Amino acid sequence: MSLDRAKIVHQNFLDRVSNENLPNVSGYDISSAGLSNEQAVQIFESQVLSRQLDFISRKLQGQGEAFYTIGSSGHEGNAAIAAALNVDDMAFLHYRDAAFFIERSKKVSGSTPAWDMLLSFTASADDPIAQGRHKVLGSKDLFVPPQTSTIASHLPKAVGLAYSIGLNKKLELDDGLPENSIAVCSFGDASVNHSTAVGAINTACWSAYQGAEMPLLFVCEDNDIGISTFTPDGWVKAQYQKKVGLKYFYCDGLNIFDTYKVALEAQQYVREKRAPAFLHFKCVRLYGHAGADAQNVYMSKQQIEEGEAKDPLLQSAALLIQNGILNKEQILDIYNDCEQRLERVAQEVIKRAKLETSEQIMESIVPPVNPTPQMVEVVSEQTRTKHFDSDIAAHKKPSHMAKMINWALHDLMLEHKEVVLAGEDIGPKGGVYNVTANLHQKFGANRVINTLLDEQSILGLAIGMAHNQIIPIPEIQFLAYLHNAEDQLRGEAATLSFFSNGQFTNPMVIRIAGLAYQRGFGGHFHNDNSLNVLRDIPGVIVTCPSNGSDAVAMMREAVRLAREEQRIVVFLEPIALYMTRDLHEEKDGAWSFNYNDAKSISFGEIGQHGEGEELAIITYGNGYYLSRQAAKVLEEKHSIKIRVIDVRWLCPLPNEEILSAVKDCKHVLIVDECRKTGSVSEELMALLKNHNNVERLTAEDSFIPLGRAYASTLPSKESIAEAALNLVGGKS
Amino acid sequence: MKQKALVICPGRGTYNKEELGYFQCYHSDKKDLMKTIDAYRESQGQVAISALDNSDKFSTDEHTRGDNASALIYGCAYADFQSIDRNKYDIRAVTGNSMGWYIALACANAVSFNGGLEIINTMGTLMQEALIGGQLIYSYVDSNWKIIDGALEYILALISEIDGLHASINLGGMFVFGGTEEALQKLETQLEPREQFPFRLKNHAAFHTPLQNPISEKALKHFDLNLFQNSNVPLIDGRGHAWVPHTISSQEIFNYTFGHQVVKPYDFTHSVQCSVKEYAPDKIIILGPGKTLGGAVAQSLIEAKWQGLDSKESFINAQKSDPFVLSMGIDEQRKVVV
Repeated sequence: MSLDRAKIVHQNFLDRVSNENLPNVSGYDISSAGLSNEQAVQIFESQVLSRQLDFISRKLQGQGEAFYTIGSSGHEGNAAIAAALNVDDMAFLHYRDAAFFIERSKKVSGSTPAWDMLLSFTASADDPIAQGRHKVLGSKDLFVPPQTSTIASHLPKAVGLAYSIGLNKKLELDDGLPENSIAVCSFGDASVNHSTAVGAINTACWSAYQGAEMPLLFVCEDNDIGISTFTPDGWVKAQYQKKVGLKYFYCDGLNIFDTYKVALEAQQYVREKRAPAFLHFKCVRLYGHAGADAQNVYMSKQQIEEGEAKDPLLQSAALLIQNGILNKEQILDIYNDCEQRLERVAQEVIKRAKLETSEQIMESIVPPVNPTPQMVEVVSEQTRTKHFDSDIAAHKKPSHMAKMINWALHDLMLEHKEVVLAGEDIGPKGGVYNVTANLHQKFGANRVINTLLDEQSILGLAIGMAHNQIIPIPEIQFLAYLHNAEDQLRGEAATLSFFSNGQFTNPMVIRIAGLAYQRGFGGHFHNDNSLNVLRDIPGVIVTCPSNGSDAVAMMREAVRLAREEQRIVVFLEPIALYMTRDLHEEKDGAWSFNYNDAKSISFGEIGQHGEGEELAIITYGNGYYLSRQAAKVLEEKHSIKIRVIDVRWLCPLPNEEILSAVKDCKHVLIVDECRKTGSVSEELMALLKNHNNVERLTAEDSFIPLGRAYASTLPSKESIAEAALNLVGGKS
Repeated sequence: MKQKALVICPGRGTYNKEELGYFQCYHSDKKDLMKTIDAYRESQGQVAISALDNSDKFSTDEHTRGDNASALIYGCAYADFQSIDRNKYDIRAVTGNSMGWYIALACANAVSFNGGLEIINTMGTLMQEALIGGQLIYSYVDSNWKIIDGALEYILALISEIDGLHASINLGGMFVFGGTEEALQKLETQLEPREQFPFRLKNHAAFHTPLQNPISEKALKHFDLNLFQNSNVPLIDGRGHAWVPHTISSQEIFNYTFGHQVVKPYDFTHSVQCSVKEYAPDKIIILGPGKTLGGAVAQSLIEAKWQGLDSKESFINAQKSDPFVLSMGIDEQRKVVV
C-alpha cells in the first residue's frame, strides 16, 4: 500500500510539473524571501534528494535490503530551515528531517549525504554515524547529535545544550562553538503533547523567564496527525502562540520561500535575544506513518488525496517556475536525475558490509577514552585552605558520609572547572540532606544550578551540557523520583555512544539519594529500595558507597571515569547512612572517618572486612553496614570466622573480584536491602552457582511503609545474624 | 543504454617525454582548438603549444615549466574530453586533480573554453614567475597499494614539526608535500626511501599551500567574476564539495578557485571518493595526457573499498575484463572511450 501511494505521489509530481498544473503560489517572490536563485534551487535539490531517498528506501525494503521506511515526505520544506541556520547551530533532529540534514550537509565540503543516508537505510556497518545500529540522523561534522527522536525525548537535552552555550563562555570552556550559536530541536505535532516535550518547553520558558540564556529554536513540524490520531485543528497554535517566555513564529512549511523567510526571522530572534522561540512549521505527511502503515484504515481516500495534493515539491516547482528560476524541463531533469543517481548509488550501497557479531554491535556501548580531557587545575594548599576555611581542620577529624561527599565535591570542583552540579534545592539550601552545602556560595549559580522540579529536565540539562565539554553532576533528590525520568538515561544518555559509534558522548555522574532505613520517615517515596531500573542499561556504571571514606574515593573515581573515559556513572547514596556516625553502639564513632585519610578506590575494586573463611557475607550500602553489625555478634557470640564483602560497584558487578574474595569460604550469604525480585542478589546467586553453600537474604517484594514498621520488610542486623547461623549450621 | 561516467581531469606533471606529440597524435581533427590556444598564447607573448607538442625532442625545462605545461595539458585534456563518445557515455560528474580543477571547470561548462584557458594559463604563468617553494611526492602505501600502518600519521607529524612544510595534495596512496626549499631538504633527510619515492617535482611550486598567498591575492584581483557561468554537470572540487548546476554562486566558486584551491591542501583522494559515492558511475574516464593518474584514482578507490577493491592485485584483476577506470592516456583503454 505505502509503495503504491509513494508511486502515486511520484507520478503526480511528474504529471503535474509536465502539465504545469501546479499549486497557486502567487504573491511569493524570490526577492522578498531573501533567497538567491541558487539558494532556492539548492533547497529544492535537497527536497528532491530527501523525497527520492524515501522512494528508494521503500523499493529497497521490498527487496529485503532496507530496514527503515519512516520517511520525510511532506516535510521537505525543513530544508529551508536548515538553509536559514548556521551549520554549527547544534541540531537535535526529528526523524522526518532528512531534507534538513541534506541541506545542512551542503554547508560542509566533502559531505556525501546520498551515500550516507542510503548506508543508514540499509543498516550498513559503513554508515558513518551509527554503523548500522539504527537509522538515525546524525553527524559530528554537521553538529547533529543522533537520537531516535520518536517521542520527543530529545527535547530536554536540547534545552541543556542551549543552556551550555552561554554557560561555557562564563566558565571559559572552549567548546568550539561561536559565541552567538544557538541550538535547534525539531519534533512532530503529536510528540509535542508528550510530557517530555511539554516539560522541556516549560523548562526553557522557566529559564528564559528569569533571564537565563536559552538560545533554543523549537521547530514543531505539524503534519496534523500522529500515526493515526489527528491533531485537533489549531491545537499547536493555541498551545504555544502565547506561552510566557516563548516567541511564536508560524510558517507555511509547504512553501520554501515562506519557510526560509520566517526561519530566518526566528533564528535571528533566538540568536540575538538568547531566548527560546517556537517555529510552527505547517506541513503534510505523505505515504502514511511508515512503510507498514495502511492509511486507508483511518483516512478516507479523499483525505489521502487532499494531503497528496499539498505535496511541498509541487509547491517548490511552482515557486521556481513562477519566479523564472527554472523551467519545467529543468525541474524534471533534477527530479529524474536524482532518482537514477540513487538507483545506482543504492546498488553499490547494498554491497557494503553489515554488522554481524555481537562484538561488532556492542563495540560502541562503552564510549572511547577521552583523548583530551580538560586540564586539571593546580589548586595550591593556600587556595584550598582559604576555600574550606574552618572546615579544613575538620578534614582531620571523623565525619559522616554527607559531609565527606560534600567536601569531595568541593575539591573536585576546585580541580575541574568543567564540573557543574544541577538539581532541585542543591543551591543555597545545600540540598535536602546538606550534601551540597556551601557549594553554591563558593562556586556560584553557574556551577551549582538550582533547577526546577522536573527530573526529565534535570537529566536533560545534564545530557545537553555533557554534549558540550561540561562534566555534569546532576542530582536526583530521591531514587523514587528517577523513575519518571528514567528514559532520559536509558533512551538518550546511554544510547548516545552506541548510536554514534562513540563520536558523541555525554559523560556525567548522576548522584541519587536513595534506599531505605530512614527510621520511619518519608515512606516509600523517600525510601525506595529498587535500583533494578538502573542495572540493565548497557554501558552505565552504578556504584553505591557504604561509608564516608569509600564515598569520597568512589566519587573521585566516578568523576575520573566521566572525565577520562566518558562514562555515565550513577552514584547511589544511601540516605540512611548520610549522618550515621556509629556502628555497634552509640557514640562508638566507628562509622565516622577522616576525610584526609580517604584512600583511592578504582572502578571494580571491592571492599573486604575480615579474613574469616567460615562465612562470607556479600553485600553493599546499608546491607554492608548492618552486616558489619551482625558480623560482630556472629564472631563474638558464635565464634564464626567471617569476612564481609562490600561489592561497591553494582553494575557491572566485579565478578572476578567477588569470586576471588569468596573462593576459600565455606559459606556465602548474600545480603541485599533491595527486593527479592530483580535485585543484585539474583545476579550474585547466579554468579555463585558453583558454590555449595550460598543463601541470600533480601528485602521482601514490598513497598516501604511509614512509621515504626519501616524496616519490617528489610534485612536487619538480627535477620542477617539468623540467616548466617542457619547457613553455617547453628553454632551457638 | 548509455553508461554513466565520471570524468577526471589531470594535473600538472602529466605531459612528459612519452606524451610528446599527444595532441598531434590524437586530435588532428581539433586543429581549431589548438589554434585558439596558440593565438591566445601569442597574445601573451608565449610559445605556441602546437610548437611544444610538435617539437622533436622533449625538454624538461621547456615542457614542464608552469607557463607552458598548463596550457599544453589543458589543450590535450579538453580535446580528450571532446573526444569522449557521447553516444556511449553520459557524463554525470567531473572532477580533477590540482590544476585539473581549472580543466574541470571548462569541461563542466562552469567557465567557457576560453575562460578556462585564460585561468589555467594565467595561473600557470603567475606560479612559474614566482615559483615559490616546491613539491615533493612520497607514498604511504605498500607495493600492493595497502596503507602502511602509521605512515600517514608520520607524514602529518613531519608537517607539524618542520617549519615551512605543508600538505599539498593527498593523491591516492601518495602524498605531495609543498614547502620552502629549506623545508623540503630537511624533509628528504627524514623520509625512508620507498620504491621510487620520495622525489621532487621539477618546475613545481608549493601549490595548495599558504606559500601561494601572493599568487592567490593577484588572481583574486586579476580575474573577473563574470568568467563563471552555470555548469551543465556537477563538479567535485579538491575538498570533495559538489558544485551542482543551477546552485552555484559565482562569487563562491570564484573565491574557491582563486582562494582556497590555491592556498589550501587539495584532497584528490577525497574528491574521487565523494564522486563515486554520490554519483556511482559505471565508468571513470581519466582524461589524458599521461597515464600516471590512474594509480592515484585506483588507490583512492581501494581506500574506500569501492566495489570490493582492496589491493593493487584486486584492482588489476578487476581491470582485466571490463575495466572500471579508463585512462585516455592508455591506448587500449582510450579505444573504449572515443
